Amino acid sequence: MTAQTVQQGDLVTVIGLEVHVQLETDTKIFCGCATEQTDEPNENVCPVCLGLPGALPVLNEAAVEAAVKIGKAIDADIPEETRFHRKNYYYPDLPKNFQITQYDEPICADGELEVAVEGERRTVAIERAHLEEDPGSLQHVGGGGGIDSAEYTLVDYNRAGTPLMEIVTAPDFRSPAEVRAFLAELEEVLEYLGVFDAERDGSLRIDANLSIIPEEEIDGDDTDEIGMDALEAANRTEVKNISSHKGAEKALAYEETRQKNAIQRGRAVEQETRHWDESRGITVSMRSKEEEKDYRYFEEADLPPLRVSGWKDEISIPELPSARRERFQAEYGLSEEAASKLTSTKQVADFYEDVAGEFDPDLAATWVADNLLGELNYRDMEITDIAGRLEEVSRLVELVAEDEITAKNARETVLRSMLDDGAAPDEIVEQEGLGKTGEDEVQQAVVEAIDENPDAVDDYESGDDGAINFLVGQVMQKTGGSADPGDVNQLLRAELE
Amino acid sequence: MSENIYITEERIEGADDGPLSGTTVAVKDNISTEGVRTTCGSEMLAEYVPPYDATVVSRLKEAGATIVGKANMDEFGMGTTNETSHFGSVDNPAAPGRVPGGSSGGSAAAVAAGEADVALGSDTGGSVRCPAAFCGVVGIKPTYGLVSRYGLVAYANSLEQIGPFGETVEDAAQLLDVIAGDDDRDATTRETPLEEGETYADAATGDVDGLQIGVPTELLEGADEGVVETFWDAIAELEDRGAEYHEVSLPSVEHAVEAYYVIAMSEASSNLARFDGVRYGHSADAEGNWNETFARTREEGFGDEVKRRILLGTYALSAGYHDKYYKKAQDARAWVKQDFDEALSEADVLASPTMPVPPFELGESLDDPLQMYLADANTVPVNLADLPAISVPAGETDGLPVGLQLVGPAFGERRLIRAASALA
Ligand SMILES: [Zn+2]
Repeated sequence: MTAQTVQQGDLVTVIGLEVHVQLETDTKIFCGCATEQTDEPNENVCPVCLGLPGALPVLNEAAVEAAVKIGKAIDADIPEETRFHRKNYYYPDLPKNFQITQYDEPICADGELEVAVEGERRTVAIERAHLEEDPGSLQHVGGGGGIDSAEYTLVDYNRAGTPLMEIVTAPDFRSPAEVRAFLAELEEVLEYLGVFDAERDGSLRIDANLSIIPEEEIDGDDTDEIGMDALEAANRTEVKNISSHKGAEKALAYEETRQKNAIQRGRAVEQETRHWDESRGITVSMRSKEEEKDYRYFEEADLPPLRVSGWKDEISIPELPSARRERFQAEYGLSEEAASKLTSTKQVADFYEDVAGEFDPDLAATWVADNLLGELNYRDMEITDIAGRLEEVSRLVELVAEDEITAKNARETVLRSMLDDGAAPDEIVEQEGLGKTGEDEVQQAVVEAIDENPDAVDDYESGDDGAINFLVGQVMQKTGGSADPGDVNQLLRAELE
Repeated sequence: MSENIYITEERIEGADDGPLSGTTVAVKDNISTEGVRTTCGSEMLAEYVPPYDATVVSRLKEAGATIVGKANMDEFGMGTTNETSHFGSVDNPAAPGRVPGGSSGGSAAAVAAGEADVALGSDTGGSVRCPAAFCGVVGIKPTYGLVSRYGLVAYANSLEQIGPFGETVEDAAQLLDVIAGDDDRDATTRETPLEEGETYADAATGDVDGLQIGVPTELLEGADEGVVETFWDAIAELEDRGAEYHEVSLPSVEHAVEAYYVIAMSEASSNLARFDGVRYGHSADAEGNWNETFARTREEGFGDEVKRRILLGTYALSAGYHDKYYKKAQDARAWVKQDFDEALSEADVLASPTMPVPPFELGESLDDPLQMYLADANTVPVNLADLPAISVPAGETDGLPVGLQLVGPAFGERRLIRAASALA
């Protein structure tokens, strides 16, 4: 170790995010082309999104509406008027060689999002969120397959003009785990708002800026209190090509370690852009000379300013995850953990409310949060994968609630078989003979067990309470496991009195 | 046809019936025509065939017009003489050996030569009015937003409008009736202010009784003597018919030419960025990465004047210069607007020579871009202010046509048409 060695404890990680979210609208942001994904390249295109000479953009107000919803959800300021600018740069995926975006009058400014990190609530400041058009996509073919090594590059403009919202946070994150929690919460909020489809390829793209600075530059968690000079002085890396909250945590953990190692060894951290290679689990330098890009922003005169002052009041948004979580605790008496699980996606929460409306909310919570989500998770499935079969899950809960089958059989046999074989619950109960055995039959088995096991009865009578368990087992065997063990225990004791 | 009026001669027939049925129209070659090449006077687009019609072309077709050709023009509209065209200059039918004016030189020449009954041009800083004046025909620059730009290949999109040419004011107004009005494909357009049953053409009554004409003194300064004389003759003719004139002032127009060129070139640097050879147009046969291919394509495809304006515009928008040039030009634009508002509060229309000089001889101005830019002094302030204007023949000086420009309030085209129709 050299004299320049710095202790890890003296260093703090500072991360800020730029999150690009594709907004779910039927048509593109400046033309009437469908946003739907297709396999055929350059199918959903027209003179406008191809940037043909003479074509003009016309703003799709559905995209602005979606942006205002996001603004409300993050408690941002919506201006009186919003306008668009041109960001000028040359790239083959950019049909006009400028991108229509927003500059000094974004649709949302000064918002925030509260997020739970390891049980603690944190508020992340969102500096701005603005609308822009997505470029097309490139496919590098032949040669080394990379941007610099391919033989040629194909361009697909299907994606060009898809509405994007760029959400820019303050440098409020102190760890990759915080970033992950924030992004998970953000995704949840966007899905609740119905403006985002997580299933869509490339619907979420994250650029993260990460710097390591000395701890004394930070007082508490407030951004304003970070020595901004220190942040400027510390070389930061911009990590690109992150596409999920899990990926973000991995990429930033890698980058954090890489930078800390460099500093510990007394090496300078380069200010550069790095590419997250998901498959290799590392970040790679993009090797491009980092010069301050000059985008020559100026107003897009083809789009007159849009008055949006009244929109915030006119547009309503659904109850958001955080509010719903609190209501679940208050209304259904759930623990915070259960409430969190049950509001993790809108579909889960909606389903829980359906079930809790018909049966006992506690039973519903166990069934949805533990049994259903547990079994789905085990199979790498989401609730959306069984969207058409939620009625059947309700029916299964009903069978348990009405005491028709045991909870154990319901979960271990019926639910698993539903998920694995696709059968309906009543069918499985019938086939497997899981219907709870009639009381007479259980009573008869109890009598038989006592008659056939005099030794165990003796033990019980001489004070060995454990012997009752042996007898319960015998009864369960006789009833093929369909009796309720608690009930059997009671019946045995009554019979032996 | 020796004048080299058309870049592409092709008949496009419109609907069987309509207000323009039997009328032939020349269309400037920066207005997209489906299936017919639209070159913008540039090598870059020499082979470009648009897959769609500009809104004004659709409206011409619906109105029954017959398009007879795509008219020559300065490359991408960048010129005052039509000499920057990749397809050669146009001879002025009204003054042989002289330029027809630009950038819509072919359109004005088509009407002057009788090659078309009417024509469409586009006016970014005078590109309809200048050739109208030089060729002795009528040209209208509509209020920004009156005519759809959808399909007009952009040069400076905050400044330009498509406008009509005719031999008479009524002819040009008839064409305006067909092309004016809002369009879902151009967010900057709005409905015409016409009342039920009213048209632009029926405003061409020649009635100027009681018309108050303001003459901005700044727009006479430095103008050619013969041009000024012809101008006053035309004012006298209007007076004879009952109009009155008084002098007004537009103090900020002294900055207009500079402001105009900064804004136009800045916008051009962005609007013309799309010509990179990837999707359409000229594509260089270059090896190497795409940046090199883009550069070669643009080096080969654009002419000198276009390159000059793209470079200057890029510079004006650059970090460190943006405030000094682009922002300052926007401020000047606001002052010019304000001056016009004030002057028009004291007058119904403002009058000036359209061009401070008679048509240049062919080749005369090519070497001196600055002289060419200054010739736009009377026309560019109108584009900065988004206002409507008309150029109408005022007479001749030494046998060369002189145009009179009338400027009106926003969407006041009927007033301009009524006043100008007293002269042609
Ligand atoms: Zn499109």
